[in-house]
Amino acid sequence: MNSDLNKLYMIEKTQKNHTPIVEVTHLTSGYEDFRVLDDISIFAPEHQITIILGASGCGKTTLLKHLIRLIQPWSGSIRLFGHEITSLDEPEFNTILKDIGVMFQNGALLGSLSVAENVSIPMEQHTSLKEDMIRKLVEIKLDLVGLRHAIDLSPSELSGGMRKRAALARAIALDPPLLFGDEPSAGLDPVTSAGLDELILKMREQLGMTVVLVSHEVASINRIADHVVFLDEGKVLFCGPLKEAKTAGIQKVDDFFAKG
Amino acid sequence: MNARVHWSGIDISLEGDITISQVSHILKKIKKLLIEHAQTSITIDLGLVNKIDTAGVVLLETIEETARAKEIEVQWLNTPKSVKQAIQAFSLTPQTMTGRQKHKASFFEIFGDWFYEIGSHLHDLFYLVADTFYYAVNNLFKQHGKRKGEFTNQLILIGMNALPIVGMVSFLIGLILALQSAAQLRQFGAAIYVADLISISMTREMGPIMTAIMLAGRSGSAITSEIATMVVTEETDALKSMALNPIQYVLVPKFYAMTVAMPLLTVLSVIIGIFGAFVIALTYLDIGLEPFYNQVVNALLLKDILTGLVKSVVFAWLIVILGAYQGFKVRGGAAEVGKATTASVVSSIFAVIFADSILGLIFYFGQPVEI
Ligand SMILES: Nc1ncnc2c1ncn2[C@@H]1O[C@H](COP(=O)(O)OP(=O)(O)OP(=O)(O)O)[C@@H](O)[C@H]1O
Ligand SMILES: [Mg+2]
Repeated sequence: MNSDLNKLYMIEKTQKNHTPIVEVTHLTSGYEDFRVLDDISIFAPEHQITIILGASGCGKTTLLKHLIRLIQPWSGSIRLFGHEITSLDEPEFNTILKDIGVMFQNGALLGSLSVAENVSIPMEQHTSLKEDMIRKLVEIKLDLVGLRHAIDLSPSELSGGMRKRAALARAIALDPPLLFGDEPSAGLDPVTSAGLDELILKMREQLGMTVVLVSHEVASINRIADHVVFLDEGKVLFCGPLKEAKTAGIQKVDDFFAKG
Repeated sequence: MNARVHWSGIDISLEGDITISQVSHILKKIKKLLIEHAQTSITIDLGLVNKIDTAGVVLLETIEETARAKEIEVQWLNTPKSVKQAIQAFSLTPQTMTGRQKHKASFFEIFGDWFYEIGSHLHDLFYLVADTFYYAVNNLFKQHGKRKGEFTNQLILIGMNALPIVGMVSFLIGLILALQSAAQLRQFGAAIYVADLISISMTREMGPIMTAIMLAGRSGSAITSEIATMVVTEETDALKSMALNPIQYVLVPKFYAMTVAMPLLTVLSVIIGIFGAFVIALTYLDIGLEPFYNQVVNALLLKDILTGLVKSVVFAWLIVILGAYQGFKVRGGAAEVGKATTASVVSSIFAVIFADSILGLIFYFGQPVEI
């Protein structure tokens, strides 16, 4: 029935003419000979916030890594902005990457640089902005995530949650049309977490960003998600609008929303 | 309360706290009882158990399994509700997800894997070398993809900070070599040739190789641990996601710094080494500055100096590439970083000495002999 559902939404999506910015079809992959993702097909519509959910260890991070080609799939196709990324060469893919902001699960800030320098990397490398301009932009981005006071600290001086927020600031440094985030609000207090949700909504509103996030927080999902992808043991349980997920009558999905 | 084991024949009674600190002594006792009284069934009374924890539950399971292996049936008596609840709570749940199984490889598989691994190491190394040189040349002309000020940074880290140790060691090496040879040469009244001996051996051999070994230990290990840490903490992945190449962004500045620092440090090492020899010449052989200086200048040929410089650049590249290779190859956690660092130092020192002998042969046989 999963694949039926999938087909259903694929058809619906083309009807509504919501171009999928991210489109994964029949992706199978894993580590060495351990299969993590088993023939999954999902998509994320343009200008919408898509949330990937599923139990810990089910392959959400792995899926996200595929989307930025840190891992090559065993088989299947991955399209970003309509380009098949599995077959692009490096310069071509780099052009696409410049339109994508990525926030890693553990932040992955460069330890040898300050927070400000971390956030400024994308601007320094991919724009020709002057230094004072970059500094101002860095301040704005850090202000957005509530870290302006930490601008000159080193990543090792930040708390876990602060690191995540700094990583988010770096991910949105170039106002990318597509944002990927791995559990941006996990481990944050409810107030900060709600603040981040608002920020993401605001970025979407202002810049028309397409957002793909991994998240577990039902409260947060209810606040921001338009579209959800539900993974379970390497398969897709559901891929479609949030409202329909709740009424689709899939046991595990219902459980998730009931327990959260 | 401590646990006690009471028994009369095959009727055992467990009492008190069956907790983690008590478990091993209870098990020992019961195993002994099982051996002493070879029966087909025993009873264990749990009526007086006060408290039980996870280890206690495992203990009960273990007793049952041990008994079953000896074909003894265990009857549990008076199991209190608290114990039943604990058993329910702490027993392993049936496995739902298929666990990952690591299968044991046969001899031929190990052998094959081994060859495959060597092949893939060489393949990776080759690509690393190619990428490094490609970006090293590329970065000279391009603005993007490199870190501002990083070259100077690395030059200070790799070069400047190594000055004291390289200087000190070279001075001592010069001193020792001079002392050893002075005693011999003096017997033939050829003491002045200490200057020739030391200046040529420092320039062609000792200078480059001592500097390289020092930098392999100091900077090679630092390069490996920095890169390995970046791999483990996904910093390299983050760079890739920002359309930056870790080799270009992280390694190339170090490559430049090493390429510049190593010959400079080698020259310094040679000069200080010769100075060390001069100290011996002055104090032990009564040779003044002027004759010593003239002797050195006459002894050294341009070709010796070039040999030393070529060697130092080759060593620099070996150290950077092998250090980076060990760093990028790391998978897993923090423990791997330490292992990689050790491997980096060992392999680069070996590579330096090996390359030195190859280069020695090339420079020796690759030219017409002159008397
Ligand atoms: N580098 C790796 N090498 C081998 N196996 C891995 C690696 N990374 C992840 N795995 C395995 O892949 C599976 C999926 O991992 P993944 O990190 O994608 O899970 P996740 O859904 O992001 O979980 P979480 O919600 O806990 O972050 C896990 O079973 C894990 O053991
Ligand atoms: Mg994850």
